[in-house]
Amino acid sequence: MEKLLGVITANYSTKYPSVLSEARPAASVPFLGRYRVVDFALSNMVNAGIKTVGTIMPYNYRSLIDHIGSGRDWDLNRKKGGLFILPGSAFGTSRTGSRFLLRDLEYNKVFLKRSEAEYVVLSSASFVYNMDLTKLIDAHAESGADITVLTQAAKAKDVDVTGFKVDGTRVHGVKHGVEFGDVAFLDCFVIGREFLLQLLDWYEQTDYLDLFEAMAADYERVNVQVYDYEGYVAPIFNKDTYFKSNMDMLDPKITAELFPADRRIRTKAHDNAPAKFETGSRVSNARVSGGCRIKGTVSNSVLGRNVIVETGAVVSNAIVMQSCVIKTGARVENAIVDRNNVVPAGTELRGTPESLLIKEKATD
Amino acid sequence: MSKRECIAMLLAGGQGSRLGVLTKSVAKPAVSFGGKYRIIDFALSNCANSGIDTVGVLTQYRPYLLHNYLGSGSAWNLDESDGGLFILPPYATQTGGAWYAGTADAVTQNLGFIKQNDPEYVLILSGDQLYSMDYQKMLDNHKRHNADLTIAVMPVPWEEASRFGILTTDEDEKILKFTEKPNKPDSNLASMGIYIFNADLLVKTLEEDAVDQTSEHDFGKNIIPKLLDAGKRLYTYEFNGFWRDVGTIASYHETSMDLLGTKPDFDLYDAEAPIMSNAGAMPPAYVGPDATVDDCLVGNGSSIYGKAVHSIISTGAVVGERAIVQDSVLLPGAEVKPGAHVVRAILGENSVVEDNVILGSVDQTKDTAVIGNDVVVGKGEE
Repeated sequence: MEKLLGVITANYSTKYPSVLSEARPAASVPFLGRYRVVDFALSNMVNAGIKTVGTIMPYNYRSLIDHIGSGRDWDLNRKKGGLFILPGSAFGTSRTGSRFLLRDLEYNKVFLKRSEAEYVVLSSASFVYNMDLTKLIDAHAESGADITVLTQAAKAKDVDVTGFKVDGTRVHGVKHGVEFGDVAFLDCFVIGREFLLQLLDWYEQTDYLDLFEAMAADYERVNVQVYDYEGYVAPIFNKDTYFKSNMDMLDPKITAELFPADRRIRTKAHDNAPAKFETGSRVSNARVSGGCRIKGTVSNSVLGRNVIVETGAVVSNAIVMQSCVIKTGARVENAIVDRNNVVPAGTELRGTPESLLIKEKATD
Repeated sequence: MSKRECIAMLLAGGQGSRLGVLTKSVAKPAVSFGGKYRIIDFALSNCANSGIDTVGVLTQYRPYLLHNYLGSGSAWNLDESDGGLFILPPYATQTGGAWYAGTADAVTQNLGFIKQNDPEYVLILSGDQLYSMDYQKMLDNHKRHNADLTIAVMPVPWEEASRFGILTTDEDEKILKFTEKPNKPDSNLASMGIYIFNADLLVKTLEEDAVDQTSEHDFGKNIIPKLLDAGKRLYTYEFNGFWRDVGTIASYHETSMDLLGTKPDFDLYDAEAPIMSNAGAMPPAYVGPDATVDDCLVGNGSSIYGKAVHSIISTGAVVGERAIVQDSVLLPGAEVKPGAHVVRAILGENSVVEDNVILGSVDQTKDTAVIGNDVVVGKGEE
């Protein structure tokens, strides 16, 4: 019997209608050139030995299905268990601030009921981190808590991150947004499967609420414990945190922690050739994905797959997503350029460090 | 199984002994090449890109890494419930078992596999060649000639023709003569070791060859001459692209360097016929603040802090600070520590060149330096 069941709530968008979420759900936002944000939640679960993962789909699920497919790249194409594509409750709406809407779980009660797992691990697809979740699960089993939530002391103010009011290690309240030093919820928790089903019955009348909001009056009787994670965490909720977290990947110490050899972050496999750095190219402090061909200058930037930087073109302090072409003499600076854009020769896409320029996705 | 028009038999059992330390622990088809590939990727990708969906891979020498790498064949779109990739190692029967004694014997021992699939045509391939070819065009050619056997050939420089198996043809590509390494070649069309047989003829010929005590059970030496003598319809299919059989360290190095430059001989970026590989997910390459990277192929997961010039920096390889790598191939996971110089060298997988070590020489008259997989080269050992 499998002891663990995973659920990823991949159906939420952020409230900012920007390049990062308008065209695609938050879960399938590209990260560090070749990944999607959902890779981290999926990989963390699989790396913890979870072999059955239900993924609740957003209404605009095309890009997400395109990415995760049958789950093969996460070894989730299994005869028994594996990846389950689950419907979200509210097609066409995205209620901001909530990542564990009761209705979504209620809607997939059958999935939870059919399982024989002892514990359910739930996660959103809004954070980038690589954690050994068996530690969270073991801590939960040992403490005898009803729910154990993964948290970290907030490194910065973020209105989209959920905060917990904590007494010692016990949660007694929830709030929207965190200030520096608050107990920030990393949108991941473990709960007994039977108990989760019981909670769904309790809160059936208020299923328009987030699970942790619905419990507001019950934190004294439901034992919710925090488990503090000290490693690297990046919330991906707005263009500034998105940009900053990508730029964090230019620090080898951070990437060593995020991509250790023994706990891989898996992603959809592509058949890109290695990147080609041509004679005359000048690249410094950059991440360059497979299939890129560089003749120009790139600094302090992250390039997605198959990006072409032509002779005399300059990319500086920017994220350039897959299949973009920066033509001869063009300049991209302090910008996020979404996929398939061609920046014409001699033109500029230029923001400032305080106000990044966003170039939206071009059609294929 | 449903009937297939053409299946492929991919010979991947060779040791490749002239590749020295590179094939000490792995078979030649599993040797890393081109920054992220293994040599067998090219033949398998050609099959997939040519619409051939049933491929028997005949393995023998040090198969562990190769088998592990092939897995279910999914990396080449060759995992199918009815067809796909089959690993065919030597096996035992009631009367004993034997290693594959020659290229033809390897196929003979797997005639059961061919009969089970019951194809009309069988494509025989070598798993240790680097090229991109549409086998469907070769098959069309075979059918157009109503041939019994079609051999892929490529024109080679006349002065080199005596190193190859040379085919002499008439103006209609019909083969008149086959000479292995002729002293005075009368043609410059070299056999590429790629054959399309009518399946019935292949089965019959191999069954006869199996009981022939004088045969060495080799396609080039025995099977082709025999069919020519028997008056069968043998035709060539001329190929004019990049094709290499990296038999030696020197040719491995030279062929790797052929991938570099502004207009390389081999296009790894061909979107129509991508070379597929079974590569694990690694983050994009990192290029440090003081790095110089000039005319290099750079794989995912690699890090360059020093200087890399005219080199291949494969998946997960590292060029340390102040290190210089020039005209070299770093295989996956190889690490050049700070201050080391590596020139005209091949560094095996996960090998390490320690700090400030000087390895290799720009002197073209000297052999390419080669370090085996997992070997650590310290100061004074270079």
